[in-house]
Amino acid sequence: MKNMKRILSLALCLMLALACIPALADAPVKIGVLVADATGAEALAFRAYYEHYIAKAYNVEFIYSEELNTADGEKNAIDNFIVNNCKAIISFSSVDRPAQIEQCDAAGIYYAVATGTLTAEEYEEFKDYEYYVGAIGPSLDTEFRVGYDMAAYYIDQGMTKFGIFGGAVPYRTDMHIYRAAGMLCAMIDKGGEGAAYQGVTDPGAVIGMIYGTGSIETGKIGSLELMAYVGGYDFDDAWFGKLAQMAGTEGIEAILTVGSGVDVLGSFVSGSNVKLATVDSFTAAMGEAMNSGIIDYVAGKFATSIGPIFVATLNAVNGQPIRDNDGNALALDQGYWVATDAEQFAQYYAVDSSSEDPAYSKAILDTYVPAGVSYDDFAAFIAQYSFDEIAALKK
Amino acid sequence: MGKQTWKERIPAFASVLGLLVLIAAYYIVGAVRDANVAYGLKAIVNQSVVVALVATGAVFIYTLGSFDISLGAATGVSALLGAMAYNATGSLVIMFLVCVGVAVVLGFINSSLASVFNLPIFVTTVAMMSVLSAFMLILIGWNGAGDTVKVKARDVRPLDNIPFKVFILVSYIALCWFIFTLLPTGREAKFIGGSPVCARLSGINEKKLGIIASLISAVGIGLGAFLTIIYAPTLTKDTASSIGMDVIIAIVFGGMPVSGGPRSRILSAVVGAFSMGFMTQIMSMLNLGSGYGQMIKAAIFLLVVFIALGSQRGKLLTR
Repeated sequence: MKNMKRILSLALCLMLALACIPALADAPVKIGVLVADATGAEALAFRAYYEHYIAKAYNVEFIYSEELNTADGEKNAIDNFIVNNCKAIISFSSVDRPAQIEQCDAAGIYYAVATGTLTAEEYEEFKDYEYYVGAIGPSLDTEFRVGYDMAAYYIDQGMTKFGIFGGAVPYRTDMHIYRAAGMLCAMIDKGGEGAAYQGVTDPGAVIGMIYGTGSIETGKIGSLELMAYVGGYDFDDAWFGKLAQMAGTEGIEAILTVGSGVDVLGSFVSGSNVKLATVDSFTAAMGEAMNSGIIDYVAGKFATSIGPIFVATLNAVNGQPIRDNDGNALALDQGYWVATDAEQFAQYYAVDSSSEDPAYSKAILDTYVPAGVSYDDFAAFIAQYSFDEIAALKK
Repeated sequence: MGKQTWKERIPAFASVLGLLVLIAAYYIVGAVRDANVAYGLKAIVNQSVVVALVATGAVFIYTLGSFDISLGAATGVSALLGAMAYNATGSLVIMFLVCVGVAVVLGFINSSLASVFNLPIFVTTVAMMSVLSAFMLILIGWNGAGDTVKVKARDVRPLDNIPFKVFILVSYIALCWFIFTLLPTGREAKFIGGSPVCARLSGINEKKLGIIASLISAVGIGLGAFLTIIYAPTLTKDTASSIGMDVIIAIVFGGMPVSGGPRSRILSAVVGAFSMGFMTQIMSMLNLGSGYGQMIKAAIFLLVVFIALGSQRGKLLTR
């Protein structure tokens, strides 16, 4: 009986060991993903691209953090990834990026920023860190430009009376402040003689003023008028009341939102003549809003925009990091897709949401996987981010 | 009073047994998943120490049968002011003193308001939570550096190590244990929590004890705020926002009834906080996704509390 037990135990151990061999041989590369939003449509679209397309196309496993909104949460999540033997981390969370880079570098795992960039000072500090892969996403200049273009779009159509929803401006969130400043600067540039916001015309001064007050003042900007402003995400009755009041302001023609336009203002502008513009993403819900005429202008991140940073990260893990001639990490600006009608939106969304043949497909990404990909080639690839340019790359 | 059988003893040690089972599970899952178990232990200490500190102090308030919902906001405000004090002076000692000092002042305001208006501490802490959350936004605005208040990481890095954190935690637990177990304060607090009317008729000053409990708890909040800055020196409006709920879970997970009273124990908070830390790491290693992980954590939580409170079911309320 004793011998039988020994034989059985040995057989079990052998079976387990044999079962492990193929698993070890094909062990996928684990990549941790830090997320600041785990449930939003944009976040889910990013996740779907990685999990339903990239993870199938490449031998990788993505491990996601919980929703992060604090620096200690980010640090805890990176610790958890390190415990799980992740080889790299792709970060969508930006509370304290310098700390994230330091932590990953100390642990010897690669770190990349998705859909964002470091400030110039931060890049100078970390560009030569061995484990810092780099960042691909909209820079603050691009955020400024996206707000500017949105306002200019309506001003060029002859509209003169606007409202602005400032989102996280009261919380001094950089990208929202830059987008709002871009809107104001477009009004200054196109508002005719003497147009100024609170007496200033310089973009830097406008940005500084918004940082200082955490708000935007209404009033005339030359021949144009900012009739109403609401900021914050209070989600209480008073806040909704202010939004309703803004949408119902007599004479207002367009409401420009730095984000979340449909969610916070869609119901108030629905059925009215007020145009609603937002910076958001290419999701099904946004498509419905576009079809029903609630939203008129969408500058959106596209879900597959995170394909190139994945390739750069995978290359680094495989020992082929893409660095410039001085050995510095990536710092590449990537903008938004802009749709101004339902048909255009549907065309963009169909490609972006495809799990069979998305915008950045494996065929395109594989071009940049082999060893020896130069920084300049990769930068040129990222610069071609518009829908038409990516479609041309596919051909 | 016969000798207790092992079945009767299990509930009293359920939370400790739960922690031991979780530690064993952590090593087993770590081995199976080929995880970096040693690094994970360090992560668990880092992730649990602030909750353990705040929860240990909060045991005094819970023992009274009361409840403080503003713990997270108080920790956040203390940390923000501590960080701003450091940026103004460059002194870690001043940062430490401001963290603890602000927390003590807030604790005193909470308990004094409750005393003056003859309200339960819980009621004043509800109001205080709203005030402090708004105050955090104001502080960040005053700071004028975007949506964060930052201390240079390299300035606090020398203190961001496990021995220092464990030293702070053990010292505070020892102080609380001494007050709770060896001084009349602890016994009186248990008496009030167990039977407020009898305690009052016995001449115990409930208001005075409420203030003492708030002040002891405030020291834990201040220490937690200090270690929060040390660990992650970029503070936002959401800093420490989850601590209030984590403390409640830790205390209940540690086997202490939220109704307070004679079964209150100082070590419940530490056992609960570290149990949560191990559970989080296990879920992370299993990579179940946050949805499934949360459900499994909730199920384990219910199981441990069910066993821990087993001896009380079917009996009269302790209060």
